Amino acid sequence: MADTAAKKILIVEDDPDAAEALRILLESEGYETATAADARAGLAKVRAERPDLVMLDVMMPAGTEGFHLVWELRKDPDPSLRDVPIVVLTAIQKAVGLKLRPEAGDTDYQPGEFLPVQAFLDKTASSAELIATVKRVLAKGKASA
Amino acid sequence: MASERDAPTEIHAAELRERISWLIRLRWLATAGVAVTVSAAPKLLEVRLAEPPLAALTAGLVVYNSILWVASRRLLSEKSFGSLGLFASIQIGVDWLFLTGLLHFSGGIENPFVAYYVFHVVIASILLSRRAVYAHAAIAIGLFSLVCWLEAVGLLRHYHLGWYMGPDVYRSLFHVLGMLFVVATTLGFTAFMATAITAELRRRQREVMDLSESLKDHADHLENAYRALADLERGKSEYLLRVAHDLRSPLVTIDRMLSVVAEGRTGPLTPRSRQMVDRVRERVRQMAELARDLLALSRAREARPLAQHQKVDLAEVVAAVSADCRPRAAAVSVSLESEVDSGLPPVTGDRDALAELLENLLSNAVKYTPAGGRVRVAARRRGDEVELSVSDTGIGIPEGEVQEVFEDFYRASNARETGQEGTGLGLSIVQAIAKAHGGEIWVESEVGAGATFRVVLPASAG
Repeated sequence: MADTAAKKILIVEDDPDAAEALRILLESEGYETATAADARAGLAKVRAERPDLVMLDVMMPAGTEGFHLVWELRKDPDPSLRDVPIVVLTAIQKAVGLKLRPEAGDTDYQPGEFLPVQAFLDKTASSAELIATVKRVLAKGKASA
Repeated sequence: MASERDAPTEIHAAELRERISWLIRLRWLATAGVAVTVSAAPKLLEVRLAEPPLAALTAGLVVYNSILWVASRRLLSEKSFGSLGLFASIQIGVDWLFLTGLLHFSGGIENPFVAYYVFHVVIASILLSRRAVYAHAAIAIGLFSLVCWLEAVGLLRHYHLGWYMGPDVYRSLFHVLGMLFVVATTLGFTAFMATAITAELRRRQREVMDLSESLKDHADHLENAYRALADLERGKSEYLLRVAHDLRSPLVTIDRMLSVVAEGRTGPLTPRSRQMVDRVRERVRQMAELARDLLALSRAREARPLAQHQKVDLAEVVAAVSADCRPRAAAVSVSLESEVDSGLPPVTGDRDALAELLENLLSNAVKYTPAGGRVRVAARRRGDEVELSVSDTGIGIPEGEVQEVFEDFYRASNARETGQEGTGLGLSIVQAIAKAHGGEIWVESEVGAGATFRVVLPASAG
């Protein structure tokens, strides 16, 4: 498990049961985890804990705070924050037409078009798919790489 | 806002103001005409006129109209319909006096310009009520008759024109009465006809106004109805979205929590425990599928079902959905072929809804076709329609159930026997989507030999 040694993943998820399930899943694969229940707490935790990856639920019907988190991070002057890899968990990627943008953040905020994250994961993805995505994104390294 | 009764009066007042201004302008013209005639006629027509009195009357006309003109500036802006009518009536009355005076000094009964009384009767019919018009006609007849009688009996001096009538005609009561009869009947008939025409015009005008009022009411009603419908739609969509989220989100979370347990990540599981957890996960999966299908069905049946109105390229949809289904088909050893006519016309509608339609049909076909079977998707042009067909070599549909399969929650008897799970809503969804696009769906089938579902959709116009 050398490739997962000491990798820390921050889970930003408002449903405590879903967060707990994700935490158990990731820790059983050898990752360290931290959790935050909303975008603002998430932002604070990213700055405090410097995770190697952020797993973010964008919670669409409730609002766009998930997206704001992404854009805030990508504007941050500190490179270890700006380039942190983000995986977005969503139930409705197809419906809203969210797209990946391989290069790192932009200064123009264009909601709903491109999201500077490293992967989208459907909420109904299996454990295997989830772990595979996490491994893949971590292997790629910094978001700007 | 003015009441309905005031509205016509308002319009009439505006009309009246305009017409009074016009009358005053017209009088300038008439005065000029009088001046010209009075100066030119004696020489041109070789008639004798009492020039001093006529000149005085002409001057009087100028003064009178100037007063009116100044008065109208102030009066017209403030007065209501009633007093405007009075103002007009007074003007016409004074005009009668002037005309009668001019006629008296230029031959009285001998002067063909008697005909000019008609003008004021017509003008009165435009400005005043029917009764007022008849009254004015009577006044005119009365005034002229009075002057003629006074001249006839010698109480008033007669000014002989010397033109076409003899010098004593004015005295012959018989002739005078005859002439007066003609004048009276002319003015009377003119009053009658002019008021009839004006009344008809006013009636039509009122009809048009009523019509446009009611049209405006209808337009308002329609707008309110649209707004109410839009609110309802939005309410429904938000409700559906809430229901979808609130039903499906917990189910997803439950499944994830169970998967974590089933995979042994919370600790070792006995085989019995593992089995129970797997069975629970299966039920959860079915619930999630039902929630998903119910949402899809509600969306497909909404009043305004098409979220998009694009021109959809069915070739692309067939290719995309086939590519998605191919792995699943391969996994159960069912071959999947697709055939699309070249030059297929586009269909107007929602690309994602049409993909959902095809996806449902294909996944049904794969599900109910045993290993080694074949599923074929085709898109063909049929005149100004496009036909999508999905045929399989599967279990088919019993003859008596060919219509029922499209009903909500209906599963064919032989489908239930296969032990495959299903919500019974797939074909309802497909039918709703087809209908929303103005199309139709039906199935041809033989038990044991397979089934062919055909969807016919109108091609885009233009």
